[in-house]
Amino acid sequence: MLEPPPASSSKKVDRDSPLQAALKCAHHLMEQRIISNPKDMMGILLFGTEKTKFRDDKDGRGGLGYPNCYLFTDLDVPAADDVKALRALVEDEEDEEEVLKPATDVVSMSNVLFCANQIFTTKAANFGSRRLFIVTDNDDPHASDKAARSAAAVRAKDLYDLGITIDLFPIARGESNFDLGKFYDDIVYRDVNAEANGTEVRTSKSGDGLSLLNSLISNINSKQSPKRALFHIPFEIAPGLRITVKGYNVVSRQAPARTCYIWLDGEKAQIATGETTRVAEDSARTVEKQEIKKAYKFGGEYVYFTPEEQKQIRDYGPPVIRIIGFKNRNMIPAWASVKKSTFIFPSEEDYIGSSRVFSALWQKLLDSDKIGIAWCVLRSNSQPVLAAVIPSREQSDEASGTPYLSAGLWISPLPAADDLRDISAERGLDCSEDLKTKMRVIVQQLNLPKGVYNPLKYPNPALQWHYKILQTLALDEEVPDKPEDLTEPKNKAINKRAGGYLEDWAETLKDEADRAARSRSLKREVEDDEISERPAKQRKAAADRPSGSTFSMAQLKAAVESEGLSKMTVAQLKDVAGAKGLSTSGRKADLVERIEQWVEENS
Amino acid sequence: MADKEATVFIIDLGASMKAVHGARKESDLDWSMSYVWDKICNVVASNRKTLCVGVVGLRTDETNHTLAEDGYDNISILQPLGPMSMSSLKSLQTKIKPSKTTQGDAISAIVIAVDMIDTYTKKNKWKRQIYLITDGQGEIDPDDISDIARKIKDSNIELTVLGVDFDAPDYGYKEEDKPSVKKQNEATLKELVDGCGEDARFASIVEAIDDMNEPRAKSVKPYKTYDGPLTLGDPKNAPAVVEIRVERYFKTHLARPVTASTVVVKEEQAGPSQAADDEQMDGVELTAVKQTRTYKVNDPDAPGGKRDVEFESLAKGYEYGRTAVHISESDHNITKLQTQKSFKIIGFIPKEKYEPLLNLGESCVTIAAKYDERSELAFSSLVWALSELDSYAVARLVTKDEKDPIMVLLMPYMEPNYVCLYDVPLPFAEDVRSYQFPPLDRVVTVSGQTITKHRLLPSDELNQAMSDYVDAMDISNYGIDQDGEPAEYATIDEIYNPAIHRINHAIKQRAVYPEKPVPEIPPVLLRFAAPPTELVETIQATIDSLIKAADVKKVPPKAKGKRQRETVKPISGLDVDALLGGEKKGSISPENAIPDFKRALNSSEEVEQIADATKQMGAIVQSLITDSFGDNKYAQAMESIGVMREELANLEEPGQYNDFVRDLKKNLLSGTLGGDRRDFWFKMRWAKLGLINQSQSEASTVTLEEADEFYKSR
Repeated sequence: MLEPPPASSSKKVDRDSPLQAALKCAHHLMEQRIISNPKDMMGILLFGTEKTKFRDDKDGRGGLGYPNCYLFTDLDVPAADDVKALRALVEDEEDEEEVLKPATDVVSMSNVLFCANQIFTTKAANFGSRRLFIVTDNDDPHASDKAARSAAAVRAKDLYDLGITIDLFPIARGESNFDLGKFYDDIVYRDVNAEANGTEVRTSKSGDGLSLLNSLISNINSKQSPKRALFHIPFEIAPGLRITVKGYNVVSRQAPARTCYIWLDGEKAQIATGETTRVAEDSARTVEKQEIKKAYKFGGEYVYFTPEEQKQIRDYGPPVIRIIGFKNRNMIPAWASVKKSTFIFPSEEDYIGSSRVFSALWQKLLDSDKIGIAWCVLRSNSQPVLAAVIPSREQSDEASGTPYLSAGLWISPLPAADDLRDISAERGLDCSEDLKTKMRVIVQQLNLPKGVYNPLKYPNPALQWHYKILQTLALDEEVPDKPEDLTEPKNKAINKRAGGYLEDWAETLKDEADRAARSRSLKREVEDDEISERPAKQRKAAADRPSGSTFSMAQLKAAVESEGLSKMTVAQLKDVAGAKGLSTSGRKADLVERIEQWVEENS
Repeated sequence: MADKEATVFIIDLGASMKAVHGARKESDLDWSMSYVWDKICNVVASNRKTLCVGVVGLRTDETNHTLAEDGYDNISILQPLGPMSMSSLKSLQTKIKPSKTTQGDAISAIVIAVDMIDTYTKKNKWKRQIYLITDGQGEIDPDDISDIARKIKDSNIELTVLGVDFDAPDYGYKEEDKPSVKKQNEATLKELVDGCGEDARFASIVEAIDDMNEPRAKSVKPYKTYDGPLTLGDPKNAPAVVEIRVERYFKTHLARPVTASTVVVKEEQAGPSQAADDEQMDGVELTAVKQTRTYKVNDPDAPGGKRDVEFESLAKGYEYGRTAVHISESDHNITKLQTQKSFKIIGFIPKEKYEPLLNLGESCVTIAAKYDERSELAFSSLVWALSELDSYAVARLVTKDEKDPIMVLLMPYMEPNYVCLYDVPLPFAEDVRSYQFPPLDRVVTVSGQTITKHRLLPSDELNQAMSDYVDAMDISNYGIDQDGEPAEYATIDEIYNPAIHRINHAIKQRAVYPEKPVPEIPPVLLRFAAPPTELVETIQATIDSLIKAADVKKVPPKAKGKRQRETVKPISGLDVDALLGGEKKGSISPENAIPDFKRALNSSEEVEQIADATKQMGAIVQSLITDSFGDNKYAQAMESIGVMREELANLEEPGQYNDFVRDLKKNLLSGTLGGDRRDFWFKMRWAKLGLINQSQSEASTVTLEEADEFYKSR
């Protein structure tokens, strides 16, 4: 389901930073969400404005029902125009429309909440997750009006009954604290899923080197919660001991959206929605859904199973994560990775006591540096996998390599024998102790900050660029010429910190390499001599020798000029092409041509 | 490309193969054939033209082959050497049955097989194999076997003799009361095999059949994912940098089970006259299904609000929010980041600071380029340095020009045969969702207090019991290696992907025995589905005390999802319902229907009040549907129906909901709710918002069948 979005609202009278920060934050969030959750809806409702605006719908209610509420962006998947309008509001100091002019009257909070209620009910009915973010610096909007307070509480309860979560983002004014007890404790409900662990409301403020904007953004980000669990299944820790866990997709590769087809002949560009019809290959007649069967190709024909049999083949029993034993953590080889891991967290819904058992297991695995091995059928009919159950540390834990992840257990699928690829490698030359030592110094000099790889510091440059360009096209802006890429190595710093050591290392390497090359060619000559004594085998050995990688530029050039290339076998040509980083596909003529061209360009 | 293979199976079809021996239920022939069919099926399944199979029948009633000489009687070529298809498999099946004769010489059959292979493969590069499957009951002429052995060796053929109930001392099998003919034949064949070089094998077929059940991983040729420099520093500007020519290959690559194709039964092509005496009624003719796409756009003027557009008239683009961004043909690459092939180290991290749970997928292995002393030495120094410092490197990799960059973690590894860097892909900022979960070792209360003793936290007792259990269940050393020494249990080499082998097994069985039901999952695939039984038995006491300390209680199914009747309160604990005057209770406004409905039910004391609320709510739903332009209010109506269903089921008033939904269905289908509303009914069916049956609420009078019928009937 789609998460309907934060309706961000703000009250701030004089045009000072809290409002600006809130709007900027909303703008930032909108741009970010278009990328990260392109299907999410988002809306912005300003309250306490002098102007009043609701939808211009035909019900005739207009904004009259909700005075001093200004629906700046209606709840929907944001369009480019919405982003533009919001940006204009953020950047436009003049505020010509006077949208941000504060109301003189006190705005009724119950009205604001009911307005939000109506926005959600009509625009995002039947959505799985609906959230209202209230951004305000006024902790007591109805100080002297008990009736108004009560009315607001009732409207808040309505939202609760609708399944809409209210998240409050209070902004502290100056030295005074935002007192939740005055009003908002009647409005905000505890997250039912958080069990006893209450949701703490963090107040945003500027200072301590942190701008209000950043503080707001970080608070909103910390409220990110999984919309729904991937699965909710039994976790069999021991035979006869089951608890329940929910699984979440916390780490998952994000790719740019796929291209779509756009119809340009209308007044406005429109995305064309595709529909698939199935036709039989032999007769081209349209096939109905009920007729479709699944069969396996086998030796040019189909081997067919009935749907019941298909089901039987896929059936490995009901979903479960079953521990089959524990191992020392270091027994899992570093390369044992095929798929992303899934985060699991206990749920008390099916088994009371799940949390404490889970916690005990988590603690033990961390203490003893062990991992579980588990047989996992994560959904009904899904392929079973053997996975490692790995604990992640608490964020505040000094030893944690993942301070941006919560504590819990992770299901990390292990490769099967079927997934392994052979490596055909020979041991190359071993370097001297001296060279090793010199490299060691370099490695020591160039540790990443805090010695961890923190993914949050490395935005995906391809993804960012893709959306940056899309955004500029959508908003008719100037296309930037160079992307910002934080994944590039910081060469200046590398040079500064290890430049001298690198030079040292490179020099030693050069000496050793020259020596090694000499001894190798010497050896080869010896071998050649030996071979000449055994004429029978010489032909074959000679044919094998000119391996592409040993071809020097001069040799290649000579070969090109003497048309020697076409005398070589395809395998040899491929080797040469491969060694020079060229494509090895195509026919012999293509290969020859490609190598000739390369020689021409590079000699 | 994989090697070309030519394999000839010689199958003893003599009358004696009909017999049933030992504790087996099938005849010797059927039993032996289970091995041959498995082999042949693997060939058929591979669908490769370069895997060729021939089958020779030994001790057949007829004689049918190309060598017109004496001593070659009762031998027939059942399947000439060539690629196998499903139809050749089927025709072969009809030919494999025991004959009435006992005549026919196994050695002669081998000569014929050698001739077949020689003729077929000529002098080209082939992997040549002959399998002889026999019970050793026929006459064998032992003369000339040394000549024949030499010939087999010269032709580069691997000979495998698999005998029914042959003695296999290594395998611990010995046949009692062996007939003397068989004893002699076994010796003769053994001698022949011994003369054929190292690749020849002589075994009892039971070994082969047992071995067949062990899954085989398909080997795939190495795939090079990168070939170029690995750098540290800026080669263009810095005075000294690390620049190593390397090659990178897949180390793991997810193997997937074969996928089913979508097919339909072929239409009758001929007229009815032929269909009458169609013999092939059992073999259903299937044909593939293709997909065609049509495109539609919104058009308020068109019927149904949509109209078809020509695919050719469409341009490519992307969605930005709900805005369509068109990208013209000329700059179709504009959103693509320009990149150049490169592999750059950005820094290093200590090993213990890395969590393998961040691994995003398949791993690769990087080695130094061959025949390049400089790179080999440089690479060696890097791997050694990382290894000695217990460190990993983080690198940015672009595998080819214009490919998107990825971040990888390089981990040093040393084998006697090679030194390498393994790498796994790392997440970017966008790939990590910073969801917050409550801490596991403490509880923070609403008031902000931190508690360490709580029902959600383990007691010391539970911690101890868990610790004992985890230690007892350690399988780090539970397995047994080839030398019988304790070794790791469930190593990656022993794990097979059950899905792949299960489906392959089922397909092969179905291809050979179409009439048999789907076989059970081979037990070997379920080896790791549960903890080792013996281990569990020995530590049962530890498990028992863990279960006791855990004190986990299953929530009874009925209580699950049932709403607690206690009223929900905001953080302040304010009783919001009490704020409302009594007069407002019970009336439901269309604007705020769901909260009003819930409140009405909550405050209800009499069944009549519930009935009244349900009636009001029902009316609102019907008017939502009636007023809906197209489907614009469907979601609202669906949400309301869902709430009604859940709330009424929880209040044990399913009858009220069922009455409502029956009435609603009638109205939807009869068109009294503002026209044709069948589409709404489909949505309801899909969301399973039909009758509440007895399994969902005990108070319901609707059986499961009735509920099902309700969805189906129109």
